[in-house]
Amino acid sequence: MTWIDIANLLINGLIEGLVVALPALAMTLVMGVNRFPNAATGDFLTTGAYAAVAMQMLAGAPLWLAALASVGITAVVSAGSYQLIFRKLVGRPMVASMLAAIGLGFLLRSLISFFAGHDQRTFDMPLVRAWNFGGIRILPTDLLIAAIAAVCLLVVFVLIYRTSFGRQLRAVSDSADLARASGIRAKGLMLCLWLLVGALSSIGGVLLGMKAIVMPEMGWESLIPAFAAMVLGGIGSPVGAVLGALLLCVVQELSVPLLGPSYKLVLSFVVLALVLLLRPAGIMGRVQLVR
Amino acid sequence: MIAYLCAIGVIALIYCLLALGLNLQFGLTRLVNFGVVAFFAVGAYTSGLLSLQGAPLVVCFIAAGVLSGLLALPIGLLSLRLRDDYLAIVTLGFSEAVRITIQQESWLTNGVQGLPGLPKLFSSWGGGVSDIAIFTVLAVIVGLVCWGTVRLTRSPFGRLLKAIGDDEAALSALGKDPARFKVQVFMVGAALAGVAGAFYAHFITFITPEQFIPLITFYVWMGLVMGGSGTVRGAMFGSLLLMVFLEGSRFAKDWVPGVSEVGMASLRLAAVGLALILVTLYRPNGLFGGSSK
Repeated sequence: MTWIDIANLLINGLIEGLVVALPALAMTLVMGVNRFPNAATGDFLTTGAYAAVAMQMLAGAPLWLAALASVGITAVVSAGSYQLIFRKLVGRPMVASMLAAIGLGFLLRSLISFFAGHDQRTFDMPLVRAWNFGGIRILPTDLLIAAIAAVCLLVVFVLIYRTSFGRQLRAVSDSADLARASGIRAKGLMLCLWLLVGALSSIGGVLLGMKAIVMPEMGWESLIPAFAAMVLGGIGSPVGAVLGALLLCVVQELSVPLLGPSYKLVLSFVVLALVLLLRPAGIMGRVQLVR
Repeated sequence: MIAYLCAIGVIALIYCLLALGLNLQFGLTRLVNFGVVAFFAVGAYTSGLLSLQGAPLVVCFIAAGVLSGLLALPIGLLSLRLRDDYLAIVTLGFSEAVRITIQQESWLTNGVQGLPGLPKLFSSWGGGVSDIAIFTVLAVIVGLVCWGTVRLTRSPFGRLLKAIGDDEAALSALGKDPARFKVQVFMVGAALAGVAGAFYAHFITFITPEQFIPLITFYVWMGLVMGGSGTVRGAMFGSLLLMVFLEGSRFAKDWVPGVSEVGMASLRLAAVGLALILVTLYRPNGLFGGSSK
């Protein structure tokens, strides 16, 4: 393996990392505020991808418009699921929310596969050739995907760290009781959070679909990597989730020549296990959230 | 007809065994094992592979239980000292990692093609009789596990487990080490799942990685939460309910016109998802357990 191969893998890993960072961030936000690992995140991704596919196929919308519509649809699905399910499970053991999230995931996935079938689908995109810089190959589509993901991450970080919404969210994440005592209304805040989670997941799903293919299991398959990225970065830490996703995906890509592409998911699990063994708090996390 | 009932009965008892294992882990000790199917798969493949090497089936079954139990040790040690949702994430990831490894390592497991032609339990007694024999043996084992679980809940060790589920901090304050007991229970539950896997392998006689998808884990969860976790009665009743659901949805295909086989599979998945949501929302103590928290 030459350094050019390594560079190619590295670039691919970083691009994938930016995409995985979106669901990882969505999950870590919910984890920080609602205190459960949202196992339905993967299927929010699938919902987003299929919503965009449907807009393209049925309405003939261009991809950007289809993606925008999908953001809206998935955000509503996500906020609706909070309103109908997770809001009512507040104060119950964590396992209740997690089981309900798994159930919600099954429900979404089955509805999608019932109406759209199990066939693989792709987005209607112009085919472009990769740019070649002396062996280092870069697909313009991949650059576009990376740029969109980066911009979305940036927007979310501005929302979290520079707006009143973000300040309130971080207050609730630190201490829900204290936040309520200082007059923060949880109701609207939670709806906004879950709208944001849905929007993030939808973009993640569309980007994932642009990079590869769209199928009903795509979200479920990216759930474990997103979990691993969240834990690697430190649960509840937005910056950590992004760093974790980048690191995880680079390691995954670099492992491909050795282990083959099928073992990516297993590697996610191994990384997850190693983090829990060596540094359960992750890169950016606080220990008290872990034990 | 008797053959069909017997086959359903065996599968129902296998689910009972899985549910009883999960009941020890979750029902009593509140350990969230989302990777039941991993230990089931390891049991099935261990027993299947050993039997193909000519090992006597008794040895295969014991090996299946032991290996599944031992495999639970590192998983338990890894996550049980941390917050309880870590175990859920780790076991879920573990079950997918196991399935993919089985799929990929074809030198050992024959990959996606699976292992056909495994020896059937009591096959020398002829088709119909062997099924009844398997059913009887399984029923005895399930009965023993039920009896053991009830005995356990009344023993000091069982009270300790219940205390872990109720208030771990208080227990540590009394000088007990909850993590040790949790790892032990986790291993016992995993071993039960392994034995269930061995029965499955030597009843169906053909195993493939596709049979061990995460959905199986949540079938068991659905059964347990519907029946009411924490009691043997709940686990047994839930498995029965699960079996009625699984078999019923197979026949439903003939009644619902215009829905293909694949479409039916989607609808079945939708029903599982909806059941998990509704039970956790409105019946946290099981269908007949009252609606209080």
